[in-house]
Amino acid sequence: MANDSTNTPATPGATRNTSSGSSVAPAIEMRGVSYQLPNGHSLLCDLSLSVDPGETLVLLGRSGAGKSTALKLINRMLELTRGEILVEGKSIKDWDPIVLRRHIGYAIQDIGLFPHYTVEKNIALVPQLEGWTPDRIRARVEELMKLVGLDAGKFSRRFPHELSGGQRQRVGIARALAADPPILLMDEPFGALDPLTRGEVHREFRSLEQLMRKTIVLVTHHVGEALLLGNRIGVIDAGALVGMYSPKEFLAATEPVAAAYVANLRMYKEAEEGL
Amino acid sequence: MTFLQFFSRHSREILQGTLEHIWLVAVAMLLAVLIGVPLGIIVAKRPWLSKPILGGANIAETIPSLALFGFLLPVPWLGARSDRLAIAALALYALLPIIRNTAAGISHVDSAVRDAARGMGMTERQILLQVELPLSFSTILAGVRIATVLTIGIATIAAAVGAGGLGEFIFRGLAMVNNQLILAGAIPAALLALGADFLLSLLERRLRPVRA
Amino acid sequence: MRSFRYVVLLALITVCVLASCNPDRHQGIVVGSKNFSEQALLGEILAQRIEARTHQPVTRRFYLAGTYICQQALLAGRIDVYVEYTGTALTAVLHDRLESDSAAVYSRVRSEYKNRFNLDVLPSLGFNNTFAIVIRGEDARRLNLKTISDAAPHAREWRPGFGFEFMERPDGYSGLARVYGLDFAESPRILDLGLLYRALLEKQVDLVAGNSTDGLLSARDLTQLEDDKHYFPPYDAVPIARPDSLARYPEVRAALMDLAGKISDQEMRKMNYAVDGEHRDSADVARDFLHSKGLE
Repeated sequence: MANDSTNTPATPGATRNTSSGSSVAPAIEMRGVSYQLPNGHSLLCDLSLSVDPGETLVLLGRSGAGKSTALKLINRMLELTRGEILVEGKSIKDWDPIVLRRHIGYAIQDIGLFPHYTVEKNIALVPQLEGWTPDRIRARVEELMKLVGLDAGKFSRRFPHELSGGQRQRVGIARALAADPPILLMDEPFGALDPLTRGEVHREFRSLEQLMRKTIVLVTHHVGEALLLGNRIGVIDAGALVGMYSPKEFLAATEPVAAAYVANLRMYKEAEEGL
Repeated sequence: MTFLQFFSRHSREILQGTLEHIWLVAVAMLLAVLIGVPLGIIVAKRPWLSKPILGGANIAETIPSLALFGFLLPVPWLGARSDRLAIAALALYALLPIIRNTAAGISHVDSAVRDAARGMGMTERQILLQVELPLSFSTILAGVRIATVLTIGIATIAAAVGAGGLGEFIFRGLAMVNNQLILAGAIPAALLALGADFLLSLLERRLRPVRA
Repeated sequence: MRSFRYVVLLALITVCVLASCNPDRHQGIVVGSKNFSEQALLGEILAQRIEARTHQPVTRRFYLAGTYICQQALLAGRIDVYVEYTGTALTAVLHDRLESDSAAVYSRVRSEYKNRFNLDVLPSLGFNNTFAIVIRGEDARRLNLKTISDAAPHAREWRPGFGFEFMERPDGYSGLARVYGLDFAESPRILDLGLLYRALLEKQVDLVAGNSTDGLLSARDLTQLEDDKHYFPPYDAVPIARPDSLARYPEVRAALMDLAGKISDQEMRKMNYAVDGEHRDSADVARDFLHSKGLE
């Protein structure tokens, strides 16, 4: 099984791919995955990792490193050129793409709320597609809006252009959670927010009970976010996985890219301490 | 006789001519929309088809309208009745703006919205019907508006091949050197075009999706 | 967006309604005509007679741009009746071969129009607007010429003048020269139709091909030579009408039958001259004519 650390570089302090060594089947598994553009340019090369159920895996790396690509391969937004991906034990090739995507919550940086749908209609999208009864949908929308901290009475009938960036982002999260999917893929979901708002949202995100039970793969290039939200951090550089750490291990990492992130963090801390 | 007197004397015929004109334009526009919007969607989804489809529509547009009417004359069934002929030519003319605007509207839908829709598990058909078409409706309508105003104008030439409409007053007036008759055709036609433009612009504005 | 859906539906319904209502179902009778003065005169005569018979106002849709336009208007129901010429109907509308026998052409046109278009061809108004071979009156008298065959031997001394169409048509100059053995001194001068008679009178040409009902033929010292070999096909003036219009207004047929055979070549010429030469109003000329025939 791919629970061995055969694919991770043998850096000191690096963990094995499974954080707890349990025998539970991984929710998501990537085996030797490569993605190549039609013109031959390779975005991902031989990537292998696995995500346990209920775990939050953060993929950290520079822009263009390939982390978004990796994410998009999981829900078949892109089709991998080589290797295999298993979701809940089944190869994604055997999943119907539409069923797969409805089974996975998806949140992106630009959020992509439908401008012509109200907030409640936006959130209700997947339940609507799945044919839930209107009552069930209404109840769920209310529940979710409460969860993400939006006053249902005030905001349900508003349109996206009437919301602030932070509010829109919360609607995006609510929408991703609407059908209660077991897996969540998030591609820099807080990227469009200013630091203060981002901080608020981070705090709330951590407290969301619902999210604790879910398997989350979160892509970001914000190291603070990675440390705050991730159970494990996978560092991606130039299309390859260069390290997989627990947050604590990450701070002690010697791998160059990971170390660079940590050094950056330290730089700000030292600036603060020096004052 | 002043022009207004002329108008009221012949009001019934002028109304008749106006109805004929509207009928020609309505049928032609219906055809153009039914054919043009799907073609526009195809062009947006398969860009490699844009050259032949847009190219074809462009050729139809470039042929002088009177010549296009003439070309269609010998075509069986179509050429037998001049109103069929006129409607076919008018529909061909209306295609280009409609195809072009439909394609533009759909391809300009915010890619984040399209990504989100796809990522959440909407089928291509659902994305088209629930996201792309509603969001590009205003642009498509702009194309329909342009095409309608164009068609109302070109339909006056349809009288040259016997399709009737307001153009017939103009041609008869020219043959009789009768200015009032010419105006009896030209003014209602101009008013129709202005009215259609105004109404459709209103609609367009009301339905424009607000940007986030 | 609920409003969006309603708007689209409303727009679609509006367009479908507009597209499905046939605008050509009109009230009253519409008389059409082609775009020259003889046609407008005939249209007026028909319209006034129909008005007298039915006591209803008739809508006039004159100066339609040509045979094709009139035919289309009749088929579409935009007009109910207009006057056509049998020879033109035969060649331009039916695309049939030309014949020279007047009765044969008439019956062919009548049966074909009924079969192909379901249109009724009514009896001729009485005149034949065919090509007229015309020479100066003084020459006709001096040389005692009555027919084209009489004139043929003298062609060697003459210069002819023809309109462009007569030169180009297969049943025009070339056929005429062949059938009658005409050998002119010079090749024909091509002139505008309106200038033909003037050129003839001013002796710039000696023989022209005009229309047999041209107004000037009666007004000037001109002689039309008889087509004794029946080279030219007949162009009898016949009203053509939609049977449903005739059925809807029974008096219309009676009105058209009233006019059958009432207009001679000479009379048509006189009326054409009144309009083209004396610039009188065609409605007045028509009224005077009907009055003179006892048809008010």
